[in-house]
Order: sequence, then structure tokens, then C-alpha cells
Amino acid sequence: MKKIYFDNVSTTSLHEEVLKTYKDLLDKYYCNSDALYDDGVVIYDMQEKSRALIAELLKVDKDEVIFTSGASEANSLAIKGLCLNQSERKHLITTIYEHSSAYNAFKQLEEHFGFEVTYLMPEDKSGQISADQLKKAIRKDTLLVSVMAVNNEIGIINDIKEIKELIKHYPGLYFHCDLTQAVGKIPFDLQDIDLASFSAHKIHGLKGSGVLVKKRHVGLLPLINGGQQESGIRGGTSNALCNIVLAKTLRLALEEEDKYHAYMLELGAYFKERIKEVEGIKINSPEGAIYNLINIETPLTSEVMLNALNLKNIMVSSKSTCGSRKNESNRTLKSMGIDDDHAIRVSFDHHNTKEEIDYFIDSIKEIIKKYA
Amino acid sequence: MLNFEYDHIVVRYGELSTKGKNRKDFIRCLSGNIKKRLADHEKLEYKTLHDGLFIKLNGEDYDVIAEELGSVFGYSYFSGAILVKKDMEEVKEMALKLANKRDYKTFKVAARRADKSFPLHSDDINRQVAGHILRNKDIKVDVHHPDLTIYIVVQNNDIIIMDEKVRGAGGYPTGINGKALVMMSGGIDSPVAAYLTMKRGLHIDCIHFASMPYTSKQALDKVLTLAKKISVSQEQIRVHVIPFTDLQLAIYDNCDEPYAVTIMRRMMYRIADQIAKNNKIRVITNGESIGQVASQTPESIGVIAKVCDTLILRPLCMADKIEIIDLARKIDTYETSILPFEDCCTIFDPKNPVTKPKLDHCEYLERKFDWQSLVDECVKNEEIIMVSYRDKEEELF
Repeated sequence: MKKIYFDNVSTTSLHEEVLKTYKDLLDKYYCNSDALYDDGVVIYDMQEKSRALIAELLKVDKDEVIFTSGASEANSLAIKGLCLNQSERKHLITTIYEHSSAYNAFKQLEEHFGFEVTYLMPEDKSGQISADQLKKAIRKDTLLVSVMAVNNEIGIINDIKEIKELIKHYPGLYFHCDLTQAVGKIPFDLQDIDLASFSAHKIHGLKGSGVLVKKRHVGLLPLINGGQQESGIRGGTSNALCNIVLAKTLRLALEEEDKYHAYMLELGAYFKERIKEVEGIKINSPEGAIYNLINIETPLTSEVMLNALNLKNIMVSSKSTCGSRKNESNRTLKSMGIDDDHAIRVSFDHHNTKEEIDYFIDSIKEIIKKYA
Repeated sequence: MLNFEYDHIVVRYGELSTKGKNRKDFIRCLSGNIKKRLADHEKLEYKTLHDGLFIKLNGEDYDVIAEELGSVFGYSYFSGAILVKKDMEEVKEMALKLANKRDYKTFKVAARRADKSFPLHSDDINRQVAGHILRNKDIKVDVHHPDLTIYIVVQNNDIIIMDEKVRGAGGYPTGINGKALVMMSGGIDSPVAAYLTMKRGLHIDCIHFASMPYTSKQALDKVLTLAKKISVSQEQIRVHVIPFTDLQLAIYDNCDEPYAVTIMRRMMYRIADQIAKNNKIRVITNGESIGQVASQTPESIGVIAKVCDTLILRPLCMADKIEIIDLARKIDTYETSILPFEDCCTIFDPKNPVTKPKLDHCEYLERKFDWQSLVDECVKNEEIIMVSYRDKEEELF
């Protein structure tokens, strides 16, 4: 029986064009991109061309694009790299519901490096962090504000434009934005954002590949020491072939965002409409949340529901996959007053169909009838 | 220190030798088990001795063979051995090499003649060999508690020289005492119970109760992994996986909470009983230990076991948890057992389980629903999975 993949926020399938290009490259190239003979130079040139194309797509300068192993590394590097590179300012602001890679970087800075962190809590049902709220939290010694564009567990979309406008007025205050769940889903603009991260595998690219955009005026302390790679900010032999195909990955994701936008909206609306039929289900995602992610509450505990759907060949998550093996309560859901023992996260991409949603609805009805 | 290698292994059967008329069966079973366990090593040659097995290594690695022999039950010890010609000079040289293997302080020589026509008597051999060692190494003779004993056996065509006796895992050859069905939950106790069951000569099948979706696929995989780990002692293990959810739900619909686990255990025994009978298995074993949980008090065990007329043995019933854990570590199941996947015993964990259940109340509760047809369904829908430590993983790594 065909498997149904409703976990596209966790990771996505590989785009066939990306796969093809990557395979071709793997067959041909193995040299170090920093080697000075012809074969090395060829790879280096392709990587730099990719960097330039990515910069063009993001409307930033080429030397502002840093290749990383993914968004977790990009977040860690942005947050810790910035904070540890200076000693004057010791106050940081973020949200309670950032991805664990950002959240735990802040925790570390708090616990081991003497920083003070304000974790903003959502103040209304939208879950958004407001500029007002942020303004009240900013102090003279605030160094960094980090707010994610789109939350990965219930799909809150923050008003990044409003936040940028506010931060602009504070000299010496930096803004980092985790764009991981936004790229390929909603438009974004990197003007007035000092640091931004995203990952390739969330947009049908390769795992182990991502970008940190670091504006020219931002100084970072390298976390991985090495040679001259990535302007000395991120050492280690370049994962050149991954970096090369990231340009194509991003270009296709942005093209397909437009191409499938209407379809994705329709799919999300269809799911919400049909799930109403199922007794005992509540939608946890707020109004105005990102269209490809719907967090629901079911009468069964998350683990049992996940197992039952798994037996029906349906793949969903109970919480952020990065914390799936830990028995911790969920920060995002808790902060929104949502019962995190019964939450299931369903997330789509354009490969999903209404038929799959129909099958999901039938299955979940059956499961609830039998086990609730 | 020295470039010498054992070229033979002598396995001694010990306890078996005393077994009179069944001895032939024992030896056949044990030799068969040893050969199966060592089947990967094609170069080995075997020769049956009157109380053991003589294995010629032909270049196979002694340490690997020794480790694999450690998982076979039924023999008392084995020794690495070196075969030399019937020439005292060779014997003396080789004995000296053995003495030099480690920093021994004391030693003795114990020679025995199987070939009585050999010109030297045992005592003469002892004296000559000991004299040679004393002349060449700073070491003393101690005939009572030596650090090293050098055994010399004069055979018809050659002489065997051995040093250490490595104790075997003990027990009886697995299979010699028939078959047992082990109730296997995935916890710490049941794999240990399974191990001890095999150790006393019983060839095992396992039965596992799966409550999907309340338990996950990983919980079942964990049980299969455990079965695979202990399968080193009997090559492969048949696991009967029972889809238990519907029966379990019916129990919770019909029985009051304190009695739910008692009734659940009674149902498990009924199913195990039936599976055992269907497979001509005459013994059921499990990891129950007196007092460990509410369903393992003497009263609970008594009331629960009433439903089953197959012989039930509980290898761990008098063992402390700490002893069980030590053994679990020894047989390398502990780390797998403590992986945090729910099993069907923990999933409906009632708050106040009864510790002294009454038989008539159990029977009253069971009259409230048609458990027999649900038990029959469980038996009918069992899934049989064969596991073996020899199963190869995909060639990925």
C-alpha cells in the first residue's frame, strides 16, 4: 500500500532535478574545492556561482551568503557567533517558541556565558510576537533580537516587517530571523535583517545543507575553526557538491511557491473543512497560520495516534521531530495553552492530494471510533 | 611474548559424563550444538572423545572460537591445546613456552598416559618437564595451588599439552530437555528467564503480546532484538506475536481497574497455554519474580496461574532485581531492555492494582464478557517471526 507523507515540515522529499544534478556531480567530482589544480578550481568556481545565484535570489551580496550544514548550524552560528564576538552587551531577546537549535543556543549563553535572555510569550490567540511587546523588552544593553518567521509546530506567522521597522531605530541592536519554515512558503525580504537562516532539506533539497545570511557589517566568532572556507567563519572542507545544488534547490522552491500556491491553499482549506466532520478533533493552529501546517488535537494521546496512523501507512509527527525522542513538554504548545499530550502535526506539500486527505479522514475516524 | 598459538581446543563435557544411559543422547545433542554454533568456521575438524570433543583449528582464530563456545550450554570446560610429536624434547620446549606465557610464580605438571606403552611413566614425564622449566625460568613448583597447571596427555599417535581450563556457560545442552514457551515482554526479566530456560536444556519459542497502536512498532522490534541476542545459544528462535489489543480493550471495558492487570495476565496465560499445546510444548516459562509487582505476589501468581494446566516454571522467581540485572548485563540484553518503549503491561498501568486478588471475583468479572472468542482470535491471528543472530543486516555499512 502506498504511504502517505504528511510530515513535510519535518523534512521533504528530494526534488528530482536536484537529485539528478547531485548524482551527476557525485559521479564526476571529488576534489577539494580549495585545491589549486584545475579539478579543484572547477568545483570552487561552481560553488561560487551557486553562492552568487543564491545571493541574487535573496537580494543580498554574494559574500553575505555562508554555506552551513543546515538551519540548526546557521542558527547556532548566528546567535552564539554574534554574542561571543563582543563583551559590551549582555541582554538578548527571543521567543519561547523558537526551534530548539536557537532556543538551546540562548539557554547556553544564559547558563554558561553570563547573558540575560528575555523569552517573549505570545499574548493573544494569534501567537504572534507584537512590536509593542518587543519594544517593552528592549534595553540599552540588548544586543540581539531573534524571532522566527514561521513557527514549526503550530505555524504561527510573525509580522517580521513590523519587527524590522522597530529594530531599525535602535543602533547596535541586531536582528536574526529563522526563515526555515518560511522559505518557499511565503514571501520574505532580507532588507534590515542582519542574520537569517534556512535549510535545504525543508525545500526539497539535500540534508546537511543550509545557509546563514550574514550582512557585511555583522561580526561573528567562528564556532567551527578551520581554514579559509566561508571567509574564515565556518571551517572545514567545503561540502561543495551540496553547496552547488543549493542554488537550484532554492530557485525551484521559489518558482514552485508561486506555481503551487493556489493548490496548497486549496489543500489546506480542504483539510480543515473535512476534519470538522471528525468528532473530538480540535484545530490547535491559530487563525492565519501557515497554510501547509495544521496542528490538531485528537482524543488519543499523541503517541497512540501516531502509532495507529503509522499502521495505516500515514506519516505525521506528534511534535517537532527534533525533540521526538525526548520526553519534554512542548514549549510552543504550552505557551499557547494547548494540551501537548494530544497534539498531532499534519503538514503538506504540493505532492499531496485531496484523495490522501480523504483517506486520512477515514482512517482517523476509524481509529477514534475504535480506541477513543 | 612468544610466538605460539593453540592449534586445538579440547572441550570436556563434565557433568554429562555421569549420566549413564542417556549419555549418548547428551553427547550427540551437545556436539551438534557446538558444531552448529561454530558452523561459520569451515576449516575446523572434530573428533569425538569419550568425554568431550577434540577440535582441530587448522588456522582458525582461537580467541573467536573460544568466545563463541562461551554461548553453548552443557559442557563443563574447554582448554586451548597444542599437539606435539611423541618426543620429550618437543614436550619440554612447548611446556616451557606455556610457562613463559604469563608472569606465573608457581606451577605444576600433570601428565597422564592414555598410551601405556609409552616408555616414561607419568611421574617421569612430570619430573623431566618440571626440571626443564625450573632450569630455564624463575618459577617455583606448587602442587597444591599452582598459578599454572600444565596438562600433558600421551595419546597413541601424539601428545597433547594444555594449560588453562576455561569454564563453560554450564547447564545442559539446549534441546535435550524438550521445548519451552517463554513469555517475553521486552523488559529486563524475560530475556534473562529465556536465557536460563535454554541453559537448563530447553529449546525455546517466545510469545509476545503486542498492543498496537498502544504499543509502537519499535516496542515489537525491541523484543525481536532481544530474541536475536539470546539466540546465540540455540541458533534461531521462533517468536509468536499475539495481536492483543482487542482483548485488552475488552478487559478494560468490563473489569474494574484494580483487577484489570490480574485478568489481563490470566488471558495471557490462557493464550500461552493454547499456543504451547498447538506446538507440542510442555513447559511455559517467564520472568516473574516473587513480589516484584502487584501481579507477582504469591496470591496473584496463584490466582493467575489457575487458568493454565501446562507446567509453568519461573526461573527468576526467587532472584533479586539486582541479580537479574547483573545477569542481563552479562548476556548483553540489559541495554536493549531499558529502551523506553511502552509494552502492553505498562500501557494501561492502573493506579491501585490489587495485590491479593480473589479467584471468585476474577471469575465473576470474566463472566461479564465473551473472552473465549477473543482469546481464540488472538491464537488464530498470531504472527510467527523467526529470528537468529545470524540474520544479516543489509549491507549498508
